[in-house]
Amino acid sequence: MSDHKPKTTNGNRPPRAFGWMAEFSDEHKLLEAARKVRDSGYTDTDAFTPFPVHGIDEALGIKPTKLPFIVLCCGLTGLSLALLMQWWMNGVDYMYIISGKPFGITPASIPVAFEMTILFSAFSTFLGMIALNGLPRFSNPVFTSARFDRATDDKFFLYVSAKDKYYNRESVRELLAGSSPDHLEEVIEDSSPAALPKAVWLGALLLVLTGLIPAMIVLNMRAGYSTKPRFHVFFDMDFQPKKKAQQTTTIFADGRTMRPQVAGTVARGQLDEADSFYLGYDPAKLAAMEAVGNAAKLVSVQDGSAPAAGAAAPAAGATPPAAAPNTNLPWLDKLPIEANEANMKLGQTKFQIYCAACHGYGGYGDGLVHKRADALAQGFWIPPSSMHIDRIRSQPVGQIFHTITKGQGKMPGYAASLTPKERWAIALYVKALQKSQNASIDDIPVDKRSQLEPAAPTAAAPAAPSK
Amino acid sequence: MSLKYDQETVQLPETWKAKAPLLISAALICLVVGAGLCFVAGKSANVPGVSATKYVMHSYLANFMFLFSFSLGALFFILIQFLTRAGWSSSIRRVAEIVMAVLPWSAVLFIPVLLMLFANDTSLYEWNQSAESIENSVIRAKVGYLERGFFTFRTVLYIGLLSGIALWYFGKSRTQDETGDVELSVDRQKWAGPMVMIFSLTASFAAFDWVMSIDADWYSTIFGVYIFAASMMAFFALMVVMCMSLQNAGKLKDLVTIEHYHDMGKFMFGFVMFWSYIAFSQLLLYWYGNIPEETYWYKVRLMGGWEYFSYGLIFVHFIIPFLGLMSRHVRRHRTGLFFWACWLIVVHWMDMTYLVMPNVPGGLPVLPLVGHFVGGVGMLLMLWAFFIIRSSGVPLVAMRDPRLPEALTYTNPLL
Repeated sequence: MSDHKPKTTNGNRPPRAFGWMAEFSDEHKLLEAARKVRDSGYTDTDAFTPFPVHGIDEALGIKPTKLPFIVLCCGLTGLSLALLMQWWMNGVDYMYIISGKPFGITPASIPVAFEMTILFSAFSTFLGMIALNGLPRFSNPVFTSARFDRATDDKFFLYVSAKDKYYNRESVRELLAGSSPDHLEEVIEDSSPAALPKAVWLGALLLVLTGLIPAMIVLNMRAGYSTKPRFHVFFDMDFQPKKKAQQTTTIFADGRTMRPQVAGTVARGQLDEADSFYLGYDPAKLAAMEAVGNAAKLVSVQDGSAPAAGAAAPAAGATPPAAAPNTNLPWLDKLPIEANEANMKLGQTKFQIYCAACHGYGGYGDGLVHKRADALAQGFWIPPSSMHIDRIRSQPVGQIFHTITKGQGKMPGYAASLTPKERWAIALYVKALQKSQNASIDDIPVDKRSQLEPAAPTAAAPAAPSK
Repeated sequence: MSLKYDQETVQLPETWKAKAPLLISAALICLVVGAGLCFVAGKSANVPGVSATKYVMHSYLANFMFLFSFSLGALFFILIQFLTRAGWSSSIRRVAEIVMAVLPWSAVLFIPVLLMLFANDTSLYEWNQSAESIENSVIRAKVGYLERGFFTFRTVLYIGLLSGIALWYFGKSRTQDETGDVELSVDRQKWAGPMVMIFSLTASFAAFDWVMSIDADWYSTIFGVYIFAASMMAFFALMVVMCMSLQNAGKLKDLVTIEHYHDMGKFMFGFVMFWSYIAFSQLLLYWYGNIPEETYWYKVRLMGGWEYFSYGLIFVHFIIPFLGLMSRHVRRHRTGLFFWACWLIVVHWMDMTYLVMPNVPGGLPVLPLVGHFVGGVGMLLMLWAFFIIRSSGVPLVAMRDPRLPEALTYTNPLL
């Protein structure tokens, strides 16, 4: 804004006056004048300064802002909405178990409530400030003054608007003149034409047209056809000089990209495949057995249902689908680890961490997960097996190890979480658990019988869960 | 640059000076009576497996942390003032410096805890015994670190570092009273950064060792920040109370204005929020993880009567003061601010109680808590006495601080 403002009259009407503006060369005089104007009762006033002046709000008589109350109300709204939303979503509309936590409002709702409070407060602060300040305001009557440009440089302006209800042209002029400003002028209407210049229209039109170009290109491509091959932006990413599995190659005589195992080497993870310690059965014996059907048998063990039994339900407690195919397999029935106190303790610890959640501490298939699923009456829930039914009790220890390793039915394999030794220790513990639930007084060494309380017969088990 | 101010207004009130011996004796009486009440009440509570000493030691530790946290907060405040080259606080900084400079004296009160360690007492720290005799395998594994010799070494190290920083800053400030040398301020600014780092590590590890290890099975990596947040809030509350008391005694006239109170009020408000944020962060993680060895810390605080105390803390330590201090009109109102400062000091004591006391099995011990409260009052009296003794011959305002004029003309923008 410089001195290019035309002062032409707008039609026949003389330009309107918007008020008086006084110019000062330092902020102290401005503050003094502002206080005088304020004390005279004018409220529709404004000050323009090159930098924020301390105390100008008070000197102009600007009342404390209502913004904090707006922010408080909006913040509380955000808080309430967040809590309501979470209560509705997780407590009413879509009750979904997350980590077994309760439904509705929980401590986990607080971060969201906090964020929503902050979000609403921040937005209301920003938008409230904009609104209370009457922004956006693209123009101000004082812009017509050529001297006003120095408000961003080194001059201080005080403006009294003609819209003030006590405004009187002469008395305001006298009042402002009384505080000896450097310059005093009446703010008059900007008489320059109100219509947008043609250049602006043209520019806007050009922008819109340019913006349409990408859309037109896309439209053209979608509607038209082309015989040219697809355009590759990154050719060497689309066609990488490498081979994938099952592809052919000219490098090797047999034309395969996948190479056979080099003689005298063992592939990763295959070392364990020949050792019953890692398998639970004797691989050599299995190989010696009738080759046909062995694979099917192993699969049947893993599925928990013999293919022959077909319709048998996988649920435990149902009639076991012929234990025969399983027992035919060369399961290890002797522990490859020592059955001592330390291994028993290890097995107990691991059992209580990994198994008890479903199978229960006593192995009756009554763990907390089962109880909860049962209470929710979910149709797809398959109850975990009790370890004290005949089918499981008759299993060799190697088969129990195999079940822990590979899983069974809905139960996942635990090979990733437990070392082979730990799995054997659990198998040992399960065997002990089974024995403990079907023990008689004769199983207890004579010298230990005196410790037995008649009221607690199950405590006699050597490794019954202590807690 | 010396300001023409009545020297009288920056001296400790005569009435206060005379009180020091009285306060010390009253504090000691309170501590002894509190411990006695705790012991007797603990004995009559007769919880199986809980000795009466357990109540006394836990009460003492909680009250020690209550006392120590004010100086801890003051130290950080001073460091931050120099780190940010703050001008607004120059006129109140000396009062904070005096609170900071009593840190070594407060630390002396930790000696009973160390003595107890070397008397083979396990009522406070269960780990203070040979590894074989500890049943809990987790604590057994931590004995190597928590072993009393190493614990004592670390305690001396923490107190040495914190006292060193405090006395160095206090010394520079006092020298500036004589010389008015601007370089002294520059020096303190230069070292504030490294000192803040040392402070945060030291304070955090001290919190782990002193407070968290009473429950050595449990751990929370945010615990040091929790203690820090509580300390800062308590410190600002103490500052408001101290400055107002001094002004009511006719001192610091015109040197501490409503603008300074407004700012301290903002800090109080901010740290009420920060404490809640940290306390909740800790809770949320344990609640979500739901692992028994982590949640039992909350479990013992939510049963046997402690649940009223713990849930009450959410209200008195967060919601009520948060709403109370929210308005700037309250923060600029002397009586209003004084009320909330006193409130926060009391709830800070409750917070320290909440951290330590539920570790004594047997639920909320109502009668021992009465003794514990008397001890807490004793610690406050002790702090006041320390303040008076420390500030004898020390002006209450750093009169030759180069930033003092900035503080005296400082105003908050009008909203």
